[in-house]
Amino acid sequence: MMGRPEVKKREGTVFDIGYQNYTGPREGRGRARLSVIRNGVRTSLGFGRGALAKVLPWLFIGVLVFIAIIMALVAGAADRLVGPEDADQLNLPSHSDYYGIASIIFFVFAAVGAPDLLCPDRREGTINLYLVRPLTGSDYVFSRWLAFFLVMVAVAWLPQFILLMGLLMGDPRPVNYLLENWLDIPRFLLAAIPLAAYTTTLALLAAAFTTRRAYAAVFLVGLFVITTPFTTGLASEIGGTAGQWISMFNLSNIPVHVNDVIFGEPSVITRSAPAAEMSSWILVGWFLLWTLGPAGVLWMRYRRLTP
Amino acid sequence: MGVDNVKVLLTAVKLTKHYKDVVALDNVSFEISEGITGILGENGAGKSTAIKLFLGLIQPTSGLAKALGQNANESVAVRARLGYMPEHDCLPTNVAATEFLAHMAEVSGLPPKHARTRAADTLRHVGLFEERYRSMGGYSTGMKQRVKLAQALVHDPTFVFLDEPTAGLDPGGREEMLELVRKTHREFGISILFSSHLMADVERACDRIIVLQGGRLMQSGEVTHFTKETETVFIEVDGNHERLVAALEQRGVAVATDGHGLYIEGPDESVYDLVRDALVESEAPLRRMAPRRRALAELFQHEGEDFASELVP
Repeated sequence: MMGRPEVKKREGTVFDIGYQNYTGPREGRGRARLSVIRNGVRTSLGFGRGALAKVLPWLFIGVLVFIAIIMALVAGAADRLVGPEDADQLNLPSHSDYYGIASIIFFVFAAVGAPDLLCPDRREGTINLYLVRPLTGSDYVFSRWLAFFLVMVAVAWLPQFILLMGLLMGDPRPVNYLLENWLDIPRFLLAAIPLAAYTTTLALLAAAFTTRRAYAAVFLVGLFVITTPFTTGLASEIGGTAGQWISMFNLSNIPVHVNDVIFGEPSVITRSAPAAEMSSWILVGWFLLWTLGPAGVLWMRYRRLTP
Repeated sequence: MGVDNVKVLLTAVKLTKHYKDVVALDNVSFEISEGITGILGENGAGKSTAIKLFLGLIQPTSGLAKALGQNANESVAVRARLGYMPEHDCLPTNVAATEFLAHMAEVSGLPPKHARTRAADTLRHVGLFEERYRSMGGYSTGMKQRVKLAQALVHDPTFVFLDEPTAGLDPGGREEMLELVRKTHREFGISILFSSHLMADVERACDRIIVLQGGRLMQSGEVTHFTKETETVFIEVDGNHERLVAALEQRGVAVATDGHGLYIEGPDESVYDLVRDALVESEAPLRRMAPRRRALAELFQHEGEDFASELVP
């Protein structure tokens, strides 16, 4: 008679192998920059943090997408109600108008979100831990800038693609629509870049001068909200070239004028602005001044920063 | 020169740093090799300035600061092999320790996969493995100090700067931190510059000391050299203290006492026999009898009263 087969007991042993020196790759400054960028993107979108940190960024993204959906629905409804040819005559808002219409949402999103990348690091002293690693102050601030810039570009492109989908699906002849309007795609992709660069730079510059995110946000929102009615009123009152220049100080319109240059037509927002009559070179130069100037100040502020 | 095979890890050559009219460091030269080196001095002595110069964060007015064989001011890359634990708060409150450490490891140049593994390992070594997923805002002072140490070690540096690592800790937490510091060198093989104004901490944790005062180098050398055996014998008993003193005095032995035990100055060989007889006669249970070492605090009281008064023994 065969005995029962012997069942071997499986034994587990826990070894404490103690401290192990790291012998893997060290990727230096490039990895450091990449990590700060990735961390910045995650922070901007609330990833890896509590639910509360996700509310604001995704609320803004939701609003921006909602505007695009409404624009697509209106266009689709007009096509069906009055026919494609007559709908074209209505000159309904489209890709060229989107950034202008949603510009205030972009500015508020940047004003609220961008300071989160700089203020807590200085308030909580974490900046000291970055600067003692293979990363300079310039690396740090450029990586933070690039992180928020990428978020802004993605946030700008997303509703434009949704609008494109909506317009395509709403049109009775989607292929014809695409053939007639395909140039809008590279235009809205390109126009997002000055919008993102401008809002990111101004928002981070404000954040560079305070450790409190709320102060930076309130200052920026106030700046955008106040300059718009002030410059609009004053420009129309004075008129002429002086009025045009005053209109140029409408800070929320600066990247929208560049959008107009890219699309070759003024948007519904800038159509009545005296500054829209300025030459394209002046409008682009003015945008560069208002972006590169603050970027330089931001860089100077962080270049020599030490713990 | 590569950074892996250096024995002298930090070198200061005629290092001077002025902040406008304030002289933070004045023509200071020293070398720091493997082990734990304490840098001791009152506030404003130049300790933090020296650390910043070695990390390449500020330019020296003149002289040279070399870290791991490289000019600290010209090489950002060398910081990948250096760690720094600041004195003040530096931790984000709304992030879990493991995520924060993984990020810090990446910023030091480690690839993400390795960074996550190192973060978990390092938190285990500092005793925070169980707490690693909690937001650091809810940590106690002792736990925060451990995370600060962990972020300095997470990328396995060759050399680490610890700025007042026991600041704000209760006696138990302070002892644990000092043990972690010793373990960091003994088991992890990481050399340390331990900045402190607490002489007792430096004495207990360090192999060597550098003493700065007003930006100048006052002393440097092995801790054991400063705390070498004295000509005094220290005796500690568990009872019959007074009877023992009387028995010793009866035999003509001069005895000094404090709250801890008895001190006999400059004994020759015959005194040990007299002590033995006195112990037997007084029936005092002997706990310890040994040549007494000097404490650093005593040394500085002899060398400079003003300086010693600024330091906490």
